[in-house]
Amino acid sequence: MPLAGTLDISPLLAAAPEMLDTSAEPWEIESVELLNLSFEIDDRYMTALLPPALHPVIPPTAYFTVARYPDSPAGAFTLAQVRVGCRASALPRGFLLRAYVDSPRACDELRTKWGYNAHVADVGLRVFHDRIVGVVNDGGREILRASLINPEPISGGDVQYVSNLHLAKLADDGGSGTLIQVDPDYRFHRADRGRPQIETFERDAWSAANVAPVFPIAATFVLCDTGFPKIRYVIDPSRPAIAGTRKVAG
Amino acid sequence: MKFGIFYELSVPRPWDREAERTVYENALEQVRLADELGFDQVWCVEHHFLEEYSHSSAPELFLTACAMQTKNIRVGHGIVVCVPQFNHPVRIAERAAVLDILSGGRLEMGTGRSATWTELAGFRASPDDTKKTWDEIVRCLPKMWTQERFSHDGYAFSMPSRAILPKPYQKPHPPMWVAVTSPGTEIDAAERGLGSLGLTFGGFSDQEKRIAEYRRRIKSCDPVGEIVNEQVNTVNFLLCHEDDATGIATGTRLAGTFNYLASQLLSAREAYPSRSYPSLGLLPQLRREQTSPGDAPRVPEGLCIGDPARIVDVVRNWEACGVDRINFLLNAVETVPQEQVLASMRLFAKEVMPKFAPATAAATAAAGGN
Repeated sequence: MPLAGTLDISPLLAAAPEMLDTSAEPWEIESVELLNLSFEIDDRYMTALLPPALHPVIPPTAYFTVARYPDSPAGAFTLAQVRVGCRASALPRGFLLRAYVDSPRACDELRTKWGYNAHVADVGLRVFHDRIVGVVNDGGREILRASLINPEPISGGDVQYVSNLHLAKLADDGGSGTLIQVDPDYRFHRADRGRPQIETFERDAWSAANVAPVFPIAATFVLCDTGFPKIRYVIDPSRPAIAGTRKVAG
Repeated sequence: MKFGIFYELSVPRPWDREAERTVYENALEQVRLADELGFDQVWCVEHHFLEEYSHSSAPELFLTACAMQTKNIRVGHGIVVCVPQFNHPVRIAERAAVLDILSGGRLEMGTGRSATWTELAGFRASPDDTKKTWDEIVRCLPKMWTQERFSHDGYAFSMPSRAILPKPYQKPHPPMWVAVTSPGTEIDAAERGLGSLGLTFGGFSDQEKRIAEYRRRIKSCDPVGEIVNEQVNTVNFLLCHEDDATGIATGTRLAGTFNYLASQLLSAREAYPSRSYPSLGLLPQLRREQTSPGDAPRVPEGLCIGDPARIVDVVRNWEACGVDRINFLLNAVETVPQEQVLASMRLFAKEVMPKFAPATAAATAAAGGN
């Protein structure tokens, strides 16, 4: 049967976001600009990056995402994430390693309501004619610079983004941790595709010591309506998702 | 209605010395039995790098072995990936011709273009180009088989005039098919006079609409070859058992295992946004349709699992939808013991196949003839 994750999550739990419950009301946000890069990553660590609940994708992949939310109940903010592509049972997902957001208020909301392992930093999204660039600076140190090179228009109908899984501590999980599924819808108004390029990736700053991008797949930049939905499913990180998934809403 | 068998040749981990050999040997035993039981065709896919899901990277060799060990069953080379980074078109034509000769004219030629990023990137082929290159190559193959010499100047490949040898045994050339997974590809098949080699499971109403459109369009086709192959072939799982509940339980486990393996791979559409891959293709379609693994599983419509009576009903439904042939996947990572696979085939041949025998044969039999 397929390979499964071998990540020991216990060292990660100390710093994992804490959530009282999964009842957060959804945020629906219009005119979000989102840059997403995907790469194949070094396959020597494909199982070590994921908890036992999840299967690696073949080939293993990582997603680098920077999105500007122009408005939300927490105000405007820009969010950067690094995720590892995976499968929860048969379903495509991205396991979040770490996120940075440029608004303390949004950071707090994303941690406590949706379980984002988010931290405050300077996050920027810059749009040029020949490239779109996402940049994250933490304490004056550039920890991510990721670009889409040579954007060309494509149909938004051709774009597909995977849903997130976040390792968090739920009040009722006894401290063993829970994977929170965050699966927003996207309504695309515009989309571009180009070549992905990473200029800076400080792996330690992303809890991603074993994430080495080795082969570019694609980069997209979209204008869309999306947001942060009602949480519908949670997964026990220590059991295969096919057996350890629990429906909590919807 | 004709029946066949279909191989992905999936191999369970760990891949020790005997694991792959066992899968191949078991498959060959099944093919020999299929030939004895009157199955019409055996198909074998071409895949690369698809861990566990398919270790079938040289189907022409497997099919040659099949042909050498059987008398009547036709050998379906398909689909062959018509992407030049995978296979030079001349090599496709040559290998197919040799297989047709060695099998005594039993080749069915399936064509397609791959639907996984895993494979396309492995050969550095752009997903944007595969429709174009398939289209070009599928037009060239019949010319390579029928013209004394062939030359070409195109997008996928170019070559000066050469005699491509040998020529196929069947004249003018073997029947040609195209793999149909994405909605709309059946139109590609129809417009080129190619058989529709359906690679989706289940869903009567959707398939019926697509088949009707295929039949309508092929009437005015511009055939790529010298013959039109107006046939609709589809794929299914087979687990036939005297006890319906046992058949369903084992068959569901077989289908579920296969689908689970398929879904761990990276489809072209999921990885790389492109107009060339407007739908998810076979692999993600095989994912269970519920939103998350926490939802209740269900038995998909149209699968040939259960007792003979249930399977007869399912096949009649497919017949009513316009399907001409059904190919069965018999196993996945050896999840069903070989003896049970063979017993399932025997029971199917005994109890189900006669219900779909050609009318002339049935009439002859009813009249007491041979």
